Amino acid sequence: MNWFGFGFNGFGQIRPADATCKVNTPVLISDVCRSCVIRSDCRVRASWSSRAHVHRTDCGSHVCVSGFGFGSGSSEQMCGDTFPESRGCTDALISERHLTLNFTDRVECWEIQQPQNKLVWKREQDLSANTGQTAPLPLVPGGYVMPRSPFFRALCSELCAVSLALGTEHAVLLTSVGTVYSWGSGSHGQLGHGALTAQDEPQVVEALWGVPIQTVSAGSWHSASVSTGGDLYMWGWNESGQLGLPSRGLEEEKHRAKSGGNTEQTINKDEKNQADMFISIQAFPALVDVPNVSEISRVSCGSRHTAAVTGTGDLYTWGWGHYGQLGHCSESSTDEPTLVDYFPTHSMCVQDVVCGLWNTFVSAVPKHPPS
Amino acid sequence: MASIWHGVRAVLPSTVSEFPLEFNEKIEFSVLNVLELARDQLYSAPDSPASAEKAQVILDYSWEKLNTGTWRDVDKEWRRVYSYGCLFKVLSLCHTNPSQYNIQEAIKTCDMSLIMGAAIMDNILQRLVGILRMQMKSPNQERSEEPCSKKMKQDCVSEPVINPAQEVPRIQCPSLERFRSDFLDPQRPVIIEGITDHWPAFTKHPWSIDYLRTVAGCRTVPIEVGSKYTDEEWSQKLITVNDFIDRYIIGTAENGVGYLAQHQLFDQVPELKEDIRIPDYCCLGEGDEDDITINAWFGPGGTVSPLHQDPQQNFLAQVVGRKYIRLYSPEETKNLYPHQSQLLHNTSQVEVENPDLVKFPDFSRASYQECVLRPGDVLFIPLQHWHYVRSLELSFSVSFWWS
Repeated sequence: MNWFGFGFNGFGQIRPADATCKVNTPVLISDVCRSCVIRSDCRVRASWSSRAHVHRTDCGSHVCVSGFGFGSGSSEQMCGDTFPESRGCTDALISERHLTLNFTDRVECWEIQQPQNKLVWKREQDLSANTGQTAPLPLVPGGYVMPRSPFFRALCSELCAVSLALGTEHAVLLTSVGTVYSWGSGSHGQLGHGALTAQDEPQVVEALWGVPIQTVSAGSWHSASVSTGGDLYMWGWNESGQLGLPSRGLEEEKHRAKSGGNTEQTINKDEKNQADMFISIQAFPALVDVPNVSEISRVSCGSRHTAAVTGTGDLYTWGWGHYGQLGHCSESSTDEPTLVDYFPTHSMCVQDVVCGLWNTFVSAVPKHPPS
Repeated sequence: MASIWHGVRAVLPSTVSEFPLEFNEKIEFSVLNVLELARDQLYSAPDSPASAEKAQVILDYSWEKLNTGTWRDVDKEWRRVYSYGCLFKVLSLCHTNPSQYNIQEAIKTCDMSLIMGAAIMDNILQRLVGILRMQMKSPNQERSEEPCSKKMKQDCVSEPVINPAQEVPRIQCPSLERFRSDFLDPQRPVIIEGITDHWPAFTKHPWSIDYLRTVAGCRTVPIEVGSKYTDEEWSQKLITVNDFIDRYIIGTAENGVGYLAQHQLFDQVPELKEDIRIPDYCCLGEGDEDDITINAWFGPGGTVSPLHQDPQQNFLAQVVGRKYIRLYSPEETKNLYPHQSQLLHNTSQVEVENPDLVKFPDFSRASYQECVLRPGDVLFIPLQHWHYVRSLELSFSVSFWWS
C-alpha cells in the first residue's frame, strides 16, 4: 500500500525537500518507511502543519511525524521523526499543539511545538474493562479525548459509540447500530438538527433516523456520513462548495476569474433566476449526488473540502482547492464532486482517504487486471 | 509609479530588527514561523512570489480562526495576525509597478484589516490606505456620463401622517442642564434642533453622492442586502462605496434593498469624521469620548430597521433625507413580542407598520411616539427604548451610542 498526498505543503509535510507550499496533484509520500509500505495497517493523521504516521514494525507500533518542527528536509530520517514517547502505542491523533497517543493501558496527550515535548495530560485505562474491541481515537474507554483542556469528556456508555469525528467546534458520533449523534457549535448548521444553535449534549440526527450509517466525518464547519447502502449525506457550511451543493461564493469567484480581475463583477440577471438554488448553510443532512457513482465507501472532511472513495476505488474531491487539496492539477475550488484522475490514470485503486485541514492523504494499491 | 513603493516602504520600519512580531501564547509556533519568514522575506527579497503566498497562508489560517466561535469570543490576537496577513499582502501587491487593479486590491486589503482585523504597528494599515488612495484615479473622471446630480437625488415618497398627540417633542438647542433634567434623567425621547448647523457635513462639504465617491469611493464597506435583518433572505457582503452607490442607490430595482448599516465608517475614513461632531450632551454620560460608538447608516429609500432596542443611549443625527421613526418605551416590552432566540431577543417579531394582530394581539395596546426625522435633526433615543426606522428616501444618518 502506498500513501499519496496533495494540498498544503507549507511545512514540507507532503514533500519534505520541496519549498512549494501548494502540491496540486497526488505525489507519492516517499519518506514512508519500508514497513509501512509492506504492512497495510499504517494510518495517516494530519494537522495543519504536520503529518503523522502510526505504523507497526516488528518492534511494536510507533508514530513518525513530518512537517513543522519535525524532520523536515532531513534525508537520514526515512519516515519523518519518530516520536520517542510513542513506542508501543496503538493509535494516535495529531493537532496543531498536541499529539494524543493511545496505549493499551493509558492515553496520553503531549504538547508539541515546544522546545521539549511535554506530557500535559494522562489517563489510565482499566485493562479488565477492555473488551478487546477498541474503538479508534478520539474514543477511549468511557468517553473521548480532545486536543485542548480539559482533554477528556465522558460519554454515556449506552451510546455504544464505534467512531467519533471531531470538527473544530463540533463532534459527530456513530453508534454500533448505525445511528448518528452530534453536539457542539451549530453556528453553520454543522450539527444537522435543522437549527443553528449549539448543543451541549449528544443529540441524535433525526433526519438520518432509519438510515443505517457506516462512517462519519467532520470538517471545520461541515459534516458527512455514508450509509451502509453507499449513499453520501452532508450538512453544514457550503462556503467553498464543501457540501457538493451549489455555492454562491464559488459562482462569484468564477465570474471574477472570467472578467479578468474586475473584482466587483457579480452574477448577472440570467443566472439570478438560479439564485434560489444556492446553498450557503445546509442545516439538515442532504443526500449528495456524486455523478456516475453508485456507491460511496469512505468520506473524509478537511477544513473546507471533502474527499470520498467510491465502491470501485475511485477518489472524488470537492470544496476549497486553493492549496491544491482537491488534487485536480489546479488550485480552483469546485462545488461539484470531481474524479481525481491521477489514480485511474496510474491504474491504481484507492482504499482510504484522510484529509488534513488543507490537504488530503490517500492510500492506494495497483489495480489488478480482471482474472 | 515607482513612487508608490517608495511611499509605502517609508511607512515600514527601516530594518527587519525593528519590525515587531510579538504575540501571546494563543498563536501557535507554526503560524509564528510563517509570520517571521514573511517578514524576513520582505526585507531580503520583497518581490519574491513566495511573499504573496505566505501572506495568503497567514490570511487563510487567521480567517478560519476569525470564523471559529462567535465574533465576540474570537481572541484579539488572531485579529492581529489577520492584520499582519493583510499588511504582507498589501506590500506584495504594491511592490513592482502596481496596476490600478493591484492598488484597488491593496486598498481593499487594508479595509479588510480595518473591518476584521485589529490595529497593528501604530495602525499601519490606516496609514497605508492614506498613501494608496492618492494613487487611485478619481472616479469622477470615469463617471462623467452619469446623470450627475450635485446633491443626492430625492425621489420622494409620501410622508406618513403623524398623529400630533403622539409626536416626539422638538426642542431648540437646550442647555446641558435642561437636557439632563427634562430628557436624560426621565429617559424621554426628544428631537433636538439646531445643534448640527455647524457640521461641515452641512456647510463646508455638504454630503452628496459625489462627495462620498470622492472621499470614500474606493473603500470597501460591509452592506446588508434584504429589506430587513430579520428576513430569511437577508445577507451581508463587502463591496466598495462606489459599487454600493452604483448598484443600490442609483440602480435599485433589480438588486434588492442594500443598506450600509451600523458600520463604523468614521474610524475607517477619518476624512468623513472631520465632517461631523459628537453632540456635547454626550459629556453627561459616564464614559470617555473614546467609548462613544459612531455608526454610519447610508441607504436608499425603503430601508427598514425592525423594532429593536439597544443597550446604550443613542443620538441619531439625520444628515441627508428623511426617516420615519416609531418609539416604544421599555415598559411596553410585554406587548412587543421579542424574538425568543438569544441572537434576536432584542428585536420584536412584529412588523410595526403592518402588524399581524391575530398573532400579536397585545401589540395594538402598546402606546408609542413617532416622528419624521429631517436633515439637521438629532433624535435622542433613551437606552432600551424600542425603535423602528424606515427611510422615506435616500438617507444618511449618523448614530452616537454613549453611556
